[in-house]
Amino acid sequence: MGNSIKLTHGNGGKDTSILIKEIFQKHFNNNLLINSLDAAIFEVGQGKLAFTTDSFVVKPLFFSGGDIGKLAVCGTINDLVVSGAMPLYISCGFIIEEGFSIDLLENIVASMGEMCKETGVKIITGDTKVVEKGSVDGLFINTSGIGLIIKGYEQKPIKEGDKVIVTGGIGEHGTTIAIQRYEMKVKGYFKSDCMPLNKVIKKLGKYAIKIKLMKDPTRGGLATALNEIAEFSGMGIHLLEEQIPVKKEVISVNQLIGLDPLYLACEGRMILVVDQMECEKVLKEIRQCEECEDAAIIGSIVNSGTQSIVFMETFIGGKRIIGPLDGPMLPRIC
Amino acid sequence: MNKELIRHLIKEINIMASKEIKIMEVCGTHTQMISKLGIRSVLSPNIKLLSGPGCPVCVTEEKYIDTAIEMLNNYDVTIATFGDLLRVKGTKNCLLDKKSRGKNVIIVHSPLDLINIAKDDKKRKIIFLGVGFETTAPIIALTIRTAFEKEINNLFFLTSIKLMSPILHYILKQPENQIQGLICPGHVASIKGASYFEFIAEDYNIPAAVCGFEALDILGGIHYLVKQIIDNENKSFKNLYKRCVRTQGNPIANHLIEEVFQISHGVWRGIGKVENSFLTIKKKYRNFDADNNFEVKIESQRHISKCACSDILLGNKTPRECELFDRVCNPFSPYGPCMVSTEGACAIAYKYWEEMYNG
Repeated sequence: MGNSIKLTHGNGGKDTSILIKEIFQKHFNNNLLINSLDAAIFEVGQGKLAFTTDSFVVKPLFFSGGDIGKLAVCGTINDLVVSGAMPLYISCGFIIEEGFSIDLLENIVASMGEMCKETGVKIITGDTKVVEKGSVDGLFINTSGIGLIIKGYEQKPIKEGDKVIVTGGIGEHGTTIAIQRYEMKVKGYFKSDCMPLNKVIKKLGKYAIKIKLMKDPTRGGLATALNEIAEFSGMGIHLLEEQIPVKKEVISVNQLIGLDPLYLACEGRMILVVDQMECEKVLKEIRQCEECEDAAIIGSIVNSGTQSIVFMETFIGGKRIIGPLDGPMLPRIC
Repeated sequence: MNKELIRHLIKEINIMASKEIKIMEVCGTHTQMISKLGIRSVLSPNIKLLSGPGCPVCVTEEKYIDTAIEMLNNYDVTIATFGDLLRVKGTKNCLLDKKSRGKNVIIVHSPLDLINIAKDDKKRKIIFLGVGFETTAPIIALTIRTAFEKEINNLFFLTSIKLMSPILHYILKQPENQIQGLICPGHVASIKGASYFEFIAEDYNIPAAVCGFEALDILGGIHYLVKQIIDNENKSFKNLYKRCVRTQGNPIANHLIEEVFQISHGVWRGIGKVENSFLTIKKKYRNFDADNNFEVKIESQRHISKCACSDILLGNKTPRECELFDRVCNPFSPYGPCMVSTEGACAIAYKYWEEMYNG
């Protein structure tokens, strides 16, 4: 197959077929994929489906705690999870730059395969295109996913007093990418929070009826996601600064580079709006999930009049408005 | 415990503030903390906190970034900088734009790291961008002196280092701003000593306090100043940041500054020429001065007449009183200096939506 991707790997002929068999089918190994020609055919049970798509252009392709492949699978799984769905199947399209290392491609595909194994989600159809050198930067991936909405869950109207939960420390993915992108030499272990959230939703099954809304704070970070929730619901959000989980090292690095963790992408965190009577129980369940020990109730829904404002109460009792991300932050973060 | 004390201070400040009181801070970190903590929202509207020229990046001319970019364009050099300068725009571009287009731009936490980088690759010419006040001057001086002693000849410095006391004299001589109290910058004071700021009370009869950067430090400072303004005929000065600031400062750091730099006139963005307000590299070390080694031509500065930055820096206006603020001027397309860096008064007011919150 050689060491690097050639244009012929994307022409639909012999080389493409070798690439598919030796790299993609090897790692995505499942019957639905292997037995399909132009489309995967599968049965679904009764119920509602969720369907999502996302493209991944992260730079660098490999970062502490993950790579573009893991990010693509987790990103799609998480979009389904926050829609209240158990993820089932994923499709993936690769756009690869001519000359890209086949070893690196296999590493990326293998990490997608591992994520599938871990989560039980299957990649059942895909596509590969190769473009001339310089037409893309290495490799871009598009993934789509289908999931089955869990019983009892539907988005519900948000009301005053509902609580806002975040499932772990914020800004870790964005900070990790920034450190590598800016080639910063910092001590301490920085790792992207990139992970699949389907375990969390499994755990929360019995509380589904008490969860009003879920959202993953990816691009634009916690601040932007909360502003979207506020606008969507027509309510205000009152945050308590001391309650928001942010690792000390994340704060320090961002002070150095002038970025704000509130606006940095998370790739394995979720925001939940929960009925206040049940919020402690829901929090307890979430904290039992792997990597969710720092989950916290970070604020509540308030009536803020005609404007849907997100504001932060600082530990001295001061208040400041938290607007949505405005202008550039860190491009190609996912 | 701290929280109780903080509540108590806030209460007392608000009781004392029966009339309008204008207090200025001249350190970007103070400006940022005041907004981040929401200090204005817990104090009486009578307390007006104004932000002076405390952010060194903001008051650095656009020409400076343009010069660095031209050096990158015209010579085979690496630009080394602190992270906060990366996204500051010159006339057209910022260094981050150049970095993403493949130019050599590296971030360092200390310029001293560059000694080894320069030694390891003698063919690589590195220019460090040294921007700051008296706080950053000693480490830059130490790097220059070390490079001199180790006979390193591929490391250069493009500096724009400013001095706090000349600009404070300049501000306090403006009668219009009616500044009644000054929060002195804790970082500068740790180098120059608390005594560096005694002149504020002695020469201008304006109370002043050196403050740290925690909520209690800043509120303690405001409390001291408000009490002085209300009660005392003769205003005094106090060092409230004794855990970091000595009266005479740091003698080693000051010796380094004197060894490597000389005092010169200089132009502050948004303000203009201020006499004896810059530190430039002495003749003995001129081989390390990037200006001497890489000649570039920079076109003259654009001038925006409606920009209120000079009034904001001098304490005559607040960011929202500028007619360009948030209409055409924002951190992504700044017109004036205060919108440029993350520590600029306008950029902070923009980010934290200051004065917008009434609840």
